[in-house]
Amino acid sequence: MVGATASRNGWIVWLTFVFGILLSVSPLPMFMEILRPLWLALLLTFWALYMPHTVGMVTAFCLGLAEDVLQGDLLGQNALILTLITFLVLSLQQRLRMFPMWQQCLVILVIFGLAQLVQLWLSALTGNRQPTLALVLPALVSALLWPWVSFALRGLRRRYKIN
Amino acid sequence: MGVRLLVLAVLSVALMVVDARFDLLKPARKQASLVLMDAYWITDLPGRLWEGIASQFGSRTELVAENEKLKTENLLLQGRMQKLAALTEQNVRLRELLNSSALVNEKVEVAELIGMDPNPFTHRIIINKGERDGVVLGQPVLDARGLMGQVVELMPYTSRVLLLTDTTHSIPVQVNRNGLRAIASGTGNPERLELRHVADTADIKEGDLLVSSGLGQRFPAGYPVATVKEVIHDSGQPFAIVRAVPTAALNRSRYLLLVFSDNRTAEERANDAAQAQENLDAQGGGPMLPATVPKVVNTPAAATTPAASTAPAPAAAASTTPAKPAAKPAAKPAAASKPPASQPAARPAAKPPATAPGNTGRQE
Repeated sequence: MVGATASRNGWIVWLTFVFGILLSVSPLPMFMEILRPLWLALLLTFWALYMPHTVGMVTAFCLGLAEDVLQGDLLGQNALILTLITFLVLSLQQRLRMFPMWQQCLVILVIFGLAQLVQLWLSALTGNRQPTLALVLPALVSALLWPWVSFALRGLRRRYKIN
Repeated sequence: MGVRLLVLAVLSVALMVVDARFDLLKPARKQASLVLMDAYWITDLPGRLWEGIASQFGSRTELVAENEKLKTENLLLQGRMQKLAALTEQNVRLRELLNSSALVNEKVEVAELIGMDPNPFTHRIIINKGERDGVVLGQPVLDARGLMGQVVELMPYTSRVLLLTDTTHSIPVQVNRNGLRAIASGTGNPERLELRHVADTADIKEGDLLVSSGLGQRFPAGYPVATVKEVIHDSGQPFAIVRAVPTAALNRSRYLLLVFSDNRTAEERANDAAQAQENLDAQGGGPMLPATVPKVVNTPAAATTPAASTAPAPAAAASTTPAKPAAKPAAKPAAASKPPASQPAARPAAKPPATAPGNTGRQE
């Protein structure tokens, strides 16, 4: 019974991930590149919050690998980051769902900021060190986008009765 | 949950180490990219569609105007080409005299940009030619104005190009004016390169063109790389600070050229060039004219014996006037005794282009 409901309309979740991947490589003007939100992380956060049984760390790991191939980073770099984000979200899941929106945004800012710092260390290890802390900006933009993403995905979830 | 995180974290660290140190994961990466690289293609699609629609509905007058413009440009370029052909030939000969290598024509192929690397701190682009199209690792990439970068990652149908301005990229260059060598490093700014370790007294100034020197064995020599924008002599610094602007439109070009330079060594190249020249000399005398235009002028005069009396006339008329009387008498005996004299008759007919290659070229 649980298994049957868990897989209902699951393909829509994957469709959103495909969109996330497309968004994460879509061309942006030069000055906005630095502000590109972490689309995959946002999507993973939402689905991990509301469907922790279907979307978890393994999903995050696979998506991270895909992102690595796309961006030409070392295999495993983004996988580690996304796994970490999903882990933090899952461990806060019960509380995070109860939080008001602004508080959710703050928590997400902190989680994504941490992840971006890990990203900074990893790329420093591999030799191409980013010069500034501007790299935390995507976390900020993602946190600001969270209410809209969350709202839209909740609508999608209700519409297609994904659970 | 914690255990799962640990396992995945260890797995990803292991993957990173293996990917950084060994080639083990390269095939898997290529397979994955076969599917995933379509993402770039798809995100590029709206732009391409828009371009297609715009060209569909472009008004006739606009198209005519564009056609005119392109024709003029083509004419200009053709004209320059003709001169270039003669100069290339001359260059080959002079290099032969010096016993040095001749690096003349590299093969190029057009590639199209399909995506930018999403990471704002690296300057890399994705192009639509890959391993299956014969692209190799480290291959230089140009646009219409100068060098852009080199291929750093190969995938089956796409490849990743590291641009000159990436912070991890450096290229050996030469000041075109006086041959001063330097190394231009990327700064992470798409409009700026920096020359490292240039002495304060070095003869380099604003507006100098920097061309690739070919010393790194990676980029072919002689392609424009950047123009010097400012030279700062700071007495507190051990070296002059030299900033340059890349000539290539690194963040604007859509159509790029992949250069296929042969991987022969300099000596082999020189030998091959000498061999080719010898063959040509043995074949039919005459100068080794470049394959583009002048050959067309040459062949009808040399090949058709019956027309020998008429063919030299237009060729000679176009060239300088003193060549005219020289060509006429030679053609007359050829008409009188055909079979044996065909060779010597053809020679003087072909000579005028040699004395004034620029002239014959322009005539076409």
